[in-house]
Amino acid sequence: MATGTNGLPAGLASAVASALATARAQMHASLVTLKDVYGITGSFVYARSGHLVARELPPMFDDIALSEAGSRLARLHETFSSVGDKLEIAVLRFREHKVYVKSLPAGALCIISSGSVNMPALRMAANLVGRRIAPVLDHVADDAKLVETPPTAAAATVTSATSADAASPAGPRPPAQAPPGMRRFRGRPVG
Amino acid sequence: MSAMPSQTSAAGFRAQISGASLWDLVQMECMSRSRQVFRVGGEGGVGYLYFAEGRVVHAVTSRLSGEIAALEILGWTNGSFQPCERAWPAAFTIESSCEALILRLAKRRDEAASNLVAFPGRPASVDEEQFEEIEIEEIHEEGEMRAPNNTDHPPSSTAAAVARSDISAEFPVTMRLAPGGGVLTSKGADDEMAGVVAYAHRLGQLTGELLGLEPFVAMECTFADGRLLLFEEENGETVALRSRTESNLQPLRDKLGL
Repeated sequence: MATGTNGLPAGLASAVASALATARAQMHASLVTLKDVYGITGSFVYARSGHLVARELPPMFDDIALSEAGSRLARLHETFSSVGDKLEIAVLRFREHKVYVKSLPAGALCIISSGSVNMPALRMAANLVGRRIAPVLDHVADDAKLVETPPTAAAATVTSATSADAASPAGPRPPAQAPPGMRRFRGRPVG
Repeated sequence: MSAMPSQTSAAGFRAQISGASLWDLVQMECMSRSRQVFRVGGEGGVGYLYFAEGRVVHAVTSRLSGEIAALEILGWTNGSFQPCERAWPAAFTIESSCEALILRLAKRRDEAASNLVAFPGRPASVDEEQFEEIEIEEIHEEGEMRAPNNTDHPPSSTAAAVARSDISAEFPVTMRLAPGGGVLTSKGADDEMAGVVAYAHRLGQLTGELLGLEPFVAMECTFADGRLLLFEEENGETVALRSRTESNLQPLRDKLGL
């Protein structure tokens, strides 16, 4: 039987890649609406593991940094969970910016804004977007392959999805471009 | 504490008294019912006490204003005081009588002595009903005062003042950590919370660094049964305040820029 990029049957790999691209496109479309609120720079979504799942941010925020930040924010959730506190919302204030983190069942929505953003509007927008992307994120998180795509591969996928060629969303990065040993499927290195 | 010669041109004697205490000053000024501002220099810096109507009606330090500032100033044990010319506030910020102020300070000292200080700069004796949000004021050399806070501007400069001005019974759990992680003060918190606060603070800093948004200023975390405010002071100390869900944190949020 022919196998796909991750050792899956070719048909299944293709279906999974297609599902991933669709899910990311759906989330991206929702994230775009957040920019209706004046002061919001952009947003990204990370899975419970901290992996970057979708983004809508200027290119100056590179995917590796977002993935690393998502990892730290996921640890923030874990830190509070360890003492019995379930983190629902976190607002981090930096000198000129705010980072608003809304927990979702399978990850979190993270919004970067200016310090003077209208917070009630941001909260409402985050609630609405959170409701829309939560089921999609659940679906993505259910598939370990999708969630455990390495940040660099996720970057390629997300960047492609947000490019001018959005009509044909790209699938996961071809294995030849992925760092050796980085691809995983259900916890196992593959490819 | 010593009284220094007056710099004002008011009529009367000039005094230079060694060994006088601030309480001597307070009692003397309250009894005389004079309207006078005194500049007090002590181990905590410089502060101003405003006397009128036979009581202390206003006080201000570089970080605090109102009764909390008065209690801080009156807690200083060494330094000097002298009358000075200084702008008066539009409204008095202290309603307590001189006797009530003395009692609060005494209680505050007792609690400090028993290592049960509620929070640095926050008089544990200030009851919830009595506590009022304090308008933070900056002291200008010219003597005029203004409220510095504006959420459109970086909030870090106000954080230190917030720590000492808005801490009320709204926060059943408070903690202050040294830059190295040592617990400086704690109320209602355990060692585990110190670890949580220190690590959460570090994760906030790292998130800012990774996104190019540093420096970290403050964080508010909302849980099902409460909230946690965490902010960094200019001296590197970390302050954590745990509030109830129903608490109104908006004034504090505004001051921290959250």
